[in-house]
Amino acid sequence: MDPLSALKMVMPSSMGSLSANPLQNVATSVTNSIPPSELRQLGSVTSDTPLQTSASVSSGSGATFENMLGGFVNEVAQKQAAAGSAVSGLLSGQNVSLHQAMISMEEANVSFQMMVEVRNRLLDGYQELMRMQV
Amino acid sequence: MINLLTGIDSTASALDAERIRMDVIAGNIANANVSRGLDGKPYQRQEVVFESVLRAQQSLDSPDSGSQTVRIARVQKDSRPPRMIYNPGHPDANAQGMVAMPNINIHEEMVDMIASSRSYEANLAVVKNARTMAMQALSIGKH
Repeated sequence: MDPLSALKMVMPSSMGSLSANPLQNVATSVTNSIPPSELRQLGSVTSDTPLQTSASVSSGSGATFENMLGGFVNEVAQKQAAAGSAVSGLLSGQNVSLHQAMISMEEANVSFQMMVEVRNRLLDGYQELMRMQV
Repeated sequence: MINLLTGIDSTASALDAERIRMDVIAGNIANANVSRGLDGKPYQRQEVVFESVLRAQQSLDSPDSGSQTVRIARVQKDSRPPRMIYNPGHPDANAQGMVAMPNINIHEEMVDMIASSRSYEANLAVVKNARTMAMQALSIGKH
């Protein structure tokens, strides 16, 4: 008897329905979950700059990603400033309620964590590249 | 502007509204025995009326996902008649010795206060949960 057929009998039917390429599923689900505006932004980074030689990549439109990153950092800074002004408004007796100050601090905290995570991932990718044997 | 804690707008507005409701209840309890208000008549119980406001989302790509926020429509007076209490020695007593006291039932106010504080607590739980979810999402892929 074919040992593989026994394995197929043991294997639950749900596993059999997995497509040959699970990464394909992940990719489609990821692209479905990203809002179209962000995909458009990503498209300006990826599709407009197809993989070229290193010289043309460095002179290409890599500035869009840089701008995006800079804009993100600026927004995080704005959130921090908003949280700071909310707290100082609360402490100086202006019409700011306690939960407003706490929520804006929370937003600043989460967006800062997000920025740190993005930075970590970028740096990980860079280091992975630098470690690559040529 | 990035919005990592989505849905927090309606929660924040609800917290504001509950805060105002709590202030109004505090005013009612404080004035429960005031027989001469600002207009010379006994204090009248105040109650808040909530209404929801549709806040259109700023982002244009999802116009149907506008969030409904809460605000205080108005603070209105309770039109129930004042409590009449027999107290002939009171300076505001009428000819029959009855004093008109505010139409406030302190037990009712306490129940309203509990409802308000529980509602505030529920909205705080939403904030806490949104934060936890964002933090867990940020730890995707960590090892």
